[in-house]
Amino acid sequence: MNDDPEFDAASNGGPAGQAGASGVRQDGLPSRLAVLLAAGAALGLLLNLVHPRAVRFATFAPPSVCSAGADEHAGAATPPAVELLSLTQVASLCGDPRAMVADARSAERFAEGHVAGAIHLPCASSRIAATAALDRLAGKETLVVYGDSTEEALPVAEELRRRGDRPGLRVAVLDGGFPAWSQAGLACSSGPCADCGAHR
Amino acid sequence: MTAVRISWRDAVAWALRLGLGGLLAVAGVLKLRDPSGFAVEIANYQLLPALAAYPAAILPATELVLGLSLIAAPAPWRRAATVGVGILFVLFTIAVGSAYARGINIACGCFGGGGAAIGALTLVRNLALLLGIAALWTLDGARRRLPPAAPAQPS
Repeated sequence: MNDDPEFDAASNGGPAGQAGASGVRQDGLPSRLAVLLAAGAALGLLLNLVHPRAVRFATFAPPSVCSAGADEHAGAATPPAVELLSLTQVASLCGDPRAMVADARSAERFAEGHVAGAIHLPCASSRIAATAALDRLAGKETLVVYGDSTEEALPVAEELRRRGDRPGLRVAVLDGGFPAWSQAGLACSSGPCADCGAHR
Repeated sequence: MTAVRISWRDAVAWALRLGLGGLLAVAGVLKLRDPSGFAVEIANYQLLPALAAYPAAILPATELVLGLSLIAAPAPWRRAATVGVGILFVLFTIAVGSAYARGINIACGCFGGGGAAIGALTLVRNLALLLGIAALWTLDGARRRLPPAAPAQPS
């Protein structure tokens, strides 16, 4: 049973063990745990010193809030570079190969229904998703972001505008978000936007 | 020649060590590729975001050390690593549960950049990992309680 000699040495009378018949002793466990955690922390700090993408403690700035509950932040953070587009304006962009629509809501909400042709981009702070979205932005002139509200989409749009670093790119937010779009009877689902003209 | 018998407890414990330790080590290595990106992922949880740079620098290497210790360290150190991994999993579960409860729509960042948005599935996965580490602790504890294989020789 006890085929691990180191384990047995610790539990059956070894210098670190002295376990009695009554139960398990954890002699030395806190100090070993502290050593492991300290070793990990030290290694992390050392690697961070030489890493080309090291995080800088003094200059690190958290990204803009990217949250469904970010109402209190969104107003103050609204940049002039991100414009609000009405339902009609966004609907007129449907089918335009130079425009792209991004859904900033959760995957569950996206699956329930979304603007036809929209890509799913739950949060611009997800680097892989944002990078993929930016790759798809090549050749596009307009990016429209929407959420469950205007306020939810604003920080996502701003983050994309900042990361995209394309001066000519028009980044906008659908005013009223998906609820307004859906209530207006505009094209939903994941299919192509063939019916957009009928809804204008 | 003595036949080596492996009990089911040992087999399960080793499977848990390899699985959990390997998972943690891989997660640590993936996060180590981009510490500044990982800092953003942590900040997105909106739990003291201004301090996110510190865990971003420390956590990946700590995961790597604990994961490898869980697999390959001597038994007393493995026991300590089990506690350390348990602490990490508790912290991760609290962070994910907190973001989920607040309806924050962010990527998990559990394996470096991006990934799926956190949701109920992420929470269930973290709870399963917690159960796994608790099971490992229990199995090792039961093993330590076993009587020695042979009686001690009188001195």
